[in-house]
Amino acid sequence: MKKTYQQSMFKMAFTSALIACAFNVSAQVKVGVIEGLSGPPAIVDFGESYLQGIKLALKDYQAAGGKTKIELTVYDDEANPQRAVSLAQRLIQNDKASVIIGTVSSGNVLAIGPILQKAGIPLVAGPAIATNITTQFIEEKPSQIFRCSMVEKFQIDQMLDWGAKNFKRIGLIHSTTGYGNFAAKEIEAGLKARGVELVAMEAAAPNVTDLTPQMVKLRDAKAELVLNFHESFELPFRPLPRLNYKPVIAGNWGLSSEKVLEIVGKDAIEGTVMGQALDINTPRAQAFNEKMKKEYGKDYRWPVVAALGYDAGLIVFKAVDQVGKPDPAAIRNAIENIDGIQAVSATPAKPFSATDHECLDKEHVFLGVWKNGVVTRLN
Amino acid sequence: MQIGNIIQLLSGGLAMGAIYVLVALGLYITHLTTHRVNFGQGDFLMVGTFLMLLLRKVGAPLGVAIAATLVVLAVMGWLLERIAIRPLDRKKTSPVGAFSWILTTAGIALILQNVIELGFGKTSQYSAPLFSSQRDQVVQVLGAGLFVEEILVIVAAILIVAIFYAFMFHSRWGKNIQAVAFNPESAKLLGIHTDRVKTGVFIIAAILAAVAGILIGPLVTINPHMGLVLTIKALIVAAIGGFANPVGILIGGILFGIFESLSNYLDSGFGDLYPLLAALIIIAVKPSGLFSEGRADVR
Repeated sequence: MKKTYQQSMFKMAFTSALIACAFNVSAQVKVGVIEGLSGPPAIVDFGESYLQGIKLALKDYQAAGGKTKIELTVYDDEANPQRAVSLAQRLIQNDKASVIIGTVSSGNVLAIGPILQKAGIPLVAGPAIATNITTQFIEEKPSQIFRCSMVEKFQIDQMLDWGAKNFKRIGLIHSTTGYGNFAAKEIEAGLKARGVELVAMEAAAPNVTDLTPQMVKLRDAKAELVLNFHESFELPFRPLPRLNYKPVIAGNWGLSSEKVLEIVGKDAIEGTVMGQALDINTPRAQAFNEKMKKEYGKDYRWPVVAALGYDAGLIVFKAVDQVGKPDPAAIRNAIENIDGIQAVSATPAKPFSATDHECLDKEHVFLGVWKNGVVTRLN
Repeated sequence: MQIGNIIQLLSGGLAMGAIYVLVALGLYITHLTTHRVNFGQGDFLMVGTFLMLLLRKVGAPLGVAIAATLVVLAVMGWLLERIAIRPLDRKKTSPVGAFSWILTTAGIALILQNVIELGFGKTSQYSAPLFSSQRDQVVQVLGAGLFVEEILVIVAAILIVAIFYAFMFHSRWGKNIQAVAFNPESAKLLGIHTDRVKTGVFIIAAILAAVAGILIGPLVTINPHMGLVLTIKALIVAAIGGFANPVGILIGGILFGIFESLSNYLDSGFGDLYPLLAALIIIAVKPSGLFSEGRADVR
């Protein structure tokens, strides 16, 4: 009788261990993704490109034999902050996501940030670029908000340093959206600090189809460099041939999109400068480029944004794999301490620390230029 | 302001105004005849631009591409009347039926946007010039640079309005339309096939959208959601013109386009606001539009 009892106890313990073991092996971690996948075309270009990078990173993670099963749950916030908030709540409450990646609009990230911070769910923001996305949470202990994307201030600083050094007459065209107005203020203040005044500052609504009146004024102001911070990146180029005006155009990293190249044309875009974080000439970037072309064909159109999406995926999936279970607090810590990342973009091997939640720091952002149909590093 | 700049802004405004005129003419003729407008008129234009893009990408000659686009849009106009307008007319005595056409035409516009998104993606597209393999064919007119397509769209709008005027007021078909607009029941008693006339005006409206779509494609960046803004601006133009005659709409469209261009030059931060404010003031002061009286009006 005693022997039977001991045997039963042993069997029970063994079975429990097996179940626990099995549970551990098959523990599935849900990663939520919120991106702008519909709405204004520029938003869609950003959202789809970033998501392409995340999906390729997951594919590579699975191919490399990642031991933790990861499920992506992807939602479209339609560039609408209210929708982004409801999707974040849905990911937390219904989907039980342990970590979230997203989204395009900075306003949407700033809307969901406090919710995720309060819920203790880490967010790797991207491709939103507003300067204050991580800094406004960094004093919280622990801060849940990370970012793998361009940082507006870094690209503007690079551009203004270069612009003030090389051009006497600088003009600006920006959109009347929150983003465009904010960028305009930063540029105006930044140039003033460098002892330069804008010769003309023009604006345009986000849905306009023609910028001829604005470009006429920039031409008459004799602007040699036109800073372009309108979300329809191609618009300032279109009236130039009929105005017989050929300024250098420089602006937001959006100008590196191959969609802009297709619409504007190779000759017209030649020499256009923008913020960059991907040196396409490195072997790693070229291999990534080839892989993305093979994976997505014509739908792959924006190397730098896809690369940062890929790097965000690399970081998140590696952190999840280290933790091995759906534990947001542990995943947050793993993200903060992650090391040995072989990023495609300029993201360093150890991107984060307790006081820095940005993949890209100032020294990783540089200026790119369109040369023969390819964006290369500006010398 | 320099004279060259004035001409430049006027020509740019004229070109955009001409597009609004072509879209507004479609709204005018259907409203005149049936008291209904297609809230997806701008989306029909959008379908026209994407059809041209597709046909030219697959290598169709320009003439074939234009003809095919016109035919497809004509069929769409016919379908719209048969699916979204006529069935509701049978129930117009019910409170819901009277205005259901707003929902059905707007619903079809949404369907069109989604179909184009499925086929072409959600992003913007480049549409090549009509008459050249090179980009940006510029012609100098009085010191101002105009794209060939801009000249074409201005000439086309004026010609179409002239033809439209002759058609409306000097042809048997036009007289049939006027009769149906005046009183459908009396028209029926006079032997006019009113259903055929109603279908015909929606086909004409769709063809006008196709013409505008063919012409606007090379001038702007096209995307599946470009139609709504054009529908709204065309409605404003038709309201300024008075929804009464083609000449009023031509003048309303040109005024709106030029005002839009000049206001963006004078204050780009609020450039889109001033034309809308001006339109509101015009409609408030003269609710029947600038040209609704003292000119030919069939109602």
